[in-house]
Amino acid sequence: MEYNILDSIDLNDKSIYKSFTDRYFSKRYILNVDGIENNDIMLMFHSNRITLLCLAPSHFFFKNPDKYNLNFTIGKVDRLSNLVKGKGKKGGQMLTPKSTICKVEWNDGTSFDIPCGMKGTLIEINENLVNNPEILREQPDSDGFIAIMLSSIANSEATKNELLNHEEYLKRVNCSI
Amino acid sequence: MDQKAIYKFCKSLGCCEACCLRYIGIKHPNAYENSKNYVTKFREENDLEPISTDKNMTIDVSAHTSEKNGASISSNVRNSDEICDKSIDTKESITNKGSTEVDTAVLDSNDSVSPPHKKRKLNVCVSCLGVLQEDNWQECYQMVKEILDKKGYECNTFACALSAPIATLLREKAVTLHLVDEFPQYDAKVLTPLKEAWKWSFGVKLGAYINKILDSGAISPLLITVNIDYVDELQELEILKTVSPQLFAERSKQKRRFVTEFTRRSVEQALELATLWSLSAADALRAPHSRAACVGAACAHAPIFLAGRYIKLSRNLPQSPWILEGRRVLPSSVQEIIFGPLTKCYKFDPEDADRRFKFIAAGREDVDVRCLGDGRPFAIEISDPTRQLTAEEMKEVCEEISNGGEVIVKEMSPISKEDLVQLKKGEETKSKTYEALCIKLSHSKFDEDHNAPIRVTQEDIDRINSYTNTTSKEVKIALQQKTPIRVLHRRPLLTRSRDILELTATLIPEHPQLFALRLRTSAGTYVKEWAHGELGRSAPALAAALRARADLLALDVRAVHLAWPPARRAPPAPRAPPPTTS
Ligand SMILES: [Zn+2]
Repeated sequence: MEYNILDSIDLNDKSIYKSFTDRYFSKRYILNVDGIENNDIMLMFHSNRITLLCLAPSHFFFKNPDKYNLNFTIGKVDRLSNLVKGKGKKGGQMLTPKSTICKVEWNDGTSFDIPCGMKGTLIEINENLVNNPEILREQPDSDGFIAIMLSSIANSEATKNELLNHEEYLKRVNCSI
Repeated sequence: MDQKAIYKFCKSLGCCEACCLRYIGIKHPNAYENSKNYVTKFREENDLEPISTDKNMTIDVSAHTSEKNGASISSNVRNSDEICDKSIDTKESITNKGSTEVDTAVLDSNDSVSPPHKKRKLNVCVSCLGVLQEDNWQECYQMVKEILDKKGYECNTFACALSAPIATLLREKAVTLHLVDEFPQYDAKVLTPLKEAWKWSFGVKLGAYINKILDSGAISPLLITVNIDYVDELQELEILKTVSPQLFAERSKQKRRFVTEFTRRSVEQALELATLWSLSAADALRAPHSRAACVGAACAHAPIFLAGRYIKLSRNLPQSPWILEGRRVLPSSVQEIIFGPLTKCYKFDPEDADRRFKFIAAGREDVDVRCLGDGRPFAIEISDPTRQLTAEEMKEVCEEISNGGEVIVKEMSPISKEDLVQLKKGEETKSKTYEALCIKLSHSKFDEDHNAPIRVTQEDIDRINSYTNTTSKEVKIALQQKTPIRVLHRRPLLTRSRDILELTATLIPEHPQLFALRLRTSAGTYVKEWAHGELGRSAPALAAALRARADLLALDVRAVHLAWPPARRAPPAPRAPPPTTS
């Protein structure tokens, strides 16, 4: 075949096998949010200042095998009714690092909040979590992401630079993934 | 209408030959090309000064004639008399409209009477202010030629446009009102526009001077515009403030705008209300103290459009320059590779290429996606080109583009601007065929041994090929795709319905974990996002058909289903270079 697609890439180059998130995102971590041990979140920064909010693998959430619900109503704000208009994403809910995006409610009545960890605008809640809350546990760093946020280039860069990168994170949590 | 009578009357007002023809309503271009010969038919056989004896002195003759007529009118107390009087600054001349009716017979019979007291300083036409008078044209020719020599257009035809003094509108109105007054059945609408007469007279002669053939603006792509100014314009237009005080009272409220007070539009408006009485009182047809002069010329060639299809062989080449925060991310682009040889062909300054060329394509592929098959349709708009490229040159351009090895353009052909519509429409409506190299990333529930290496089985292939989520015959997989994250920062967040129309998977025996896909999709489908599912934002994903996780390793566009370049109608007439001057 002319210009065979198999010959067009180097199949020995490991980088072509990177996952979608590893290809396009830089992972950053915030540990012990609000002083709660292992309340660890992961922010995935795209070069275009889009950021994904995920739970870090070291989050205490993953140690509890119980059933849970996800609640996106935070006080008077319904995160699921977030709506952005146009290229400028007008109307998106404003977020500060402490803003809660979602509550995880265990079957035993206890719960914890997932904060967003950065200043920005809420673009999108992962709607698939509503019908399939289990993907938060099963694929926390891909289909189980929690939200998409957008912030200014300056803020995105600054936040990215001050947070733990993946290597630093591994050292700190001293665990293997 | 008695054309002779109108001719004589206009002459008497001080019009040039060409303007007389305009007021008669003559529309033959030939008449203006040689107005002095043409007007002989309006002269009496017993005219004392046959024009043929005086060919090189047209202006003088016409001026002389008008003086004679002026005299005849003066002896009969006419409005035009006042005009002549005022031309020599006899202020006491007072409007005396309608005091005496003079019929044309009187004018004719008095034609040969010579008035000793009327002497014009300049033989400038009272209507066109010299625009149509040949002795004014040499500087226009030169100005145009200078520009043409510098620009070097090869087009051997041209169209001619005129930017005339606004004062000519005022004067035209005055002449017309005189005519209506003199000949009640005269229809002002017959007036041949100044710019038409200019084209037919000046344009033809300019053609001889610059070695090009005058043609209509609808046909010739080369437009030559001559700007003619009249120094006393503002002063003369002041008249309008007395003619139409209410209009200009309003306008002059914005005093700072004094200079732009008289626009073509405002003057036309004011003149709608003008009467012969008011214009005469203001001496609208006073003899000009100077002639309108050529102050500039502009030459511009209509853009030309080339069409072709590009094949992109590189996975490291954007379609247009990729610049991030002022710095280049990649050294080249499809656009620049195509512009390069064209820049040379046109001898454009490379810095200028961006301004002179515009790249228009039916969509674009990602930097790392190749575009194979017949390639992607594109067009190039070239602004103010010096010429159309020959078929031979276009072939050479294509060869040079293709020699670089990253982009192949097999042929280019000239198209019209209207054809671009198809290109844009094609981007939004035409389906595309892709080839994708994919990888199976997890065992499916159908795989027996989940500890064995992941392999694509024939059953996997069958499952993909038989997968559908619609009952439609045309659509195999109906997708809901959110705006991809990679473009989400600059595009609105939307969920779009897109379709995979055909999908065929095949095994790759030498690479058991890989498989190939060939798919045809509706316009605007995000194929990469469908393949990996983009965190569930594009659904259903390839994984739904395979029943296992999957990703895409490489993607090629195999066909953009748009007929392009458009089927050739009559090809544009080849333009031979004009004969050289000397
Ligand atoms: Zn004239």
